[in-house]
Amino acid sequence: MTEQGTERTGPSVVVDDLHVSYRTYGGRRTTEPGSGRRFTLRRHVAAVDRVHAVTGVSFVAHHGESIGVIGHNGSGKSTLLRAVAGLVPPSSGGVYAAGTPSLLGVGGVLVKELSGERNIVLGSLALGLSPTEVRERFDAIVDFAGIGDFVQLPMSAYSSGMSARLRFAISTATSPDVLLVDEALATGDAEFKQRSRERIREIVGNAGTVLLVSHSMSTIQQTCDRVLWMDRGVLRMDGPTDEVVAAYSESVAQPDQERR
Amino acid sequence: MTVTDHRAPAEGRSETAAELAARHGLTRSGARPSLSRYLADVWSRRHFAISLAGARAYASNQVSYLGQLWAVLTPMLWAGVYLFVFGHVLDTSRGVDNFAAFLVIGVFLFRFTSTSLSAGASSVIRNQSLVSTLRFPRALLPVSVVLAELLTLLPALVVLLGVVLLTGEPPAWSWLLLPVAVLLQSVFGTGLALGTARMVSQVRDVANIVPFVTRALMYVSGVFFSIEHYAGPGGLGAALAHQPVAVYLELARGCLLQGIHLTASTWLWATGWALGALLVGVVWFWNGEEGYGRD
Ligand SMILES: Nc1ncnc2c1ncn2[C@@H]1O[C@H](COP(=O)(O)OP(=O)(O)OP(=O)(O)O)[C@@H](O)[C@H]1O
Ligand SMILES: [Mg+2]
Repeated sequence: MTEQGTERTGPSVVVDDLHVSYRTYGGRRTTEPGSGRRFTLRRHVAAVDRVHAVTGVSFVAHHGESIGVIGHNGSGKSTLLRAVAGLVPPSSGGVYAAGTPSLLGVGGVLVKELSGERNIVLGSLALGLSPTEVRERFDAIVDFAGIGDFVQLPMSAYSSGMSARLRFAISTATSPDVLLVDEALATGDAEFKQRSRERIREIVGNAGTVLLVSHSMSTIQQTCDRVLWMDRGVLRMDGPTDEVVAAYSESVAQPDQERR
Repeated sequence: MTVTDHRAPAEGRSETAAELAARHGLTRSGARPSLSRYLADVWSRRHFAISLAGARAYASNQVSYLGQLWAVLTPMLWAGVYLFVFGHVLDTSRGVDNFAAFLVIGVFLFRFTSTSLSAGASSVIRNQSLVSTLRFPRALLPVSVVLAELLTLLPALVVLLGVVLLTGEPPAWSWLLLPVAVLLQSVFGTGLALGTARMVSQVRDVANIVPFVTRALMYVSGVFFSIEHYAGPGGLGAALAHQPVAVYLELARGCLLQGIHLTASTWLWATGWALGALLVGVVWFWNGEEGYGRD
């Protein structure tokens, strides 16, 4: 959905010194060595901890760009995408984006106990479509998901690839200015990966911006022209795909110096 | 802090991120809109809340063979239990004519408010998967919880009318006012749900206190006794009778039962509590809008 007056060139996402931290319940890290016993009580009562997931990231993304995000597990990729989508509040810094970015994540099951059909309707309504628009696009979404009559079963009966298909179909039903894809293609089969890549290209072609998190370097190389490398919450490198992927692969090959 | 936009034509100075974003029509992600804008957003996504409520009410009866039949069976069984125990076994009247109907109305409508409160309180934290995938005004979650409770109440109200007839109350014009009474009670419940949803999402421990609050409310709201009969008309009795839950029970009973007469002041109290709770709930919830995604 393009709003009137939104420019179709130039920046579409501006991230400025972004910090995000999470609050966790039910466990604390006891970091001081040897203090494990003394602090046991605090691990059960008032066991609230803070995780600084993103610490000081800045970058600018443009219309028509597709950007890969890579990095180790827990480096803050998903958190960065959620912050861009406005789903987790930054603890400091700013995130600015064109339109309402649409996030497509792994954990993002909509409502498990409801049927795929119900979820399509719910998801599209939540994205801001009107009931008539949902009715018009319903068949197209079902077709794109390609899971046959399973749409009538509750999503708890879906395989992970099937729910990934359904979510991808819902999120791309509107052509968002900014599409954020978090490993959502990983569980899909070859045919679905092909189709979703085409869909991503279509969105980028319509001057949208795609941020794609993936651990598959081949996916990144095929889809993205620029890559952000996240490392323990900071942006380690930002540049053309080949350079960043090469540097990342090199660091993975020598893990001793890189991991904590 | 400044950002450099490599593609932008060199302008001789670097601008701040906020300026760059503003120049290109970008808005802050997840920013809380003004209250009027927020309400407009909520209104424009109302179909989402309705659809979610319908789906939730539907799903609650889904995992059984009889399926949606339970929507009617459950209140019938409850009514059956109360009619049997209080109509035949105990046979008390506790100063009320038609105690069985009095009790069933009390139990069903009290349940509506208490579940609105308890389900509303956890509506935001229970829906983390929705909150962390989709951007929509979070107030829709507590609202849809109350709508779902309202949808489960509707078949119970039909059963209720059956009980009222069975216990010998003649149909009366005042029955037509019942929907208005239930509407006011829903508005009040929405305010409660909004208010507690924010509290619980900020301090989880509040959720552990909610059951005690609802239980205490049950004992002071005259669910199974007449407040006037036990606490008397003055002082404490008057205070108890004017607290919101008691007011709504009184209202519904007054609509359905011959023996209870409504006054304009009951309607005024009911309206006042509803609007007051909604206003406070909405403003308080909206105020915390930016914090809900944080786990
Ligand atoms: N809901 C949450 N509550 C608390 N901490 C969290 C939460 N989600 C993520 N974190 C923490 O934030 C940090 C970054 O997590 P994030 O999910 O962004 O990593 P990631 O780069 O996406 O990792 P992966 O490659 O495994 O998906 C991690 O240290 C993680 O423990
Ligand atoms: Mg991740």
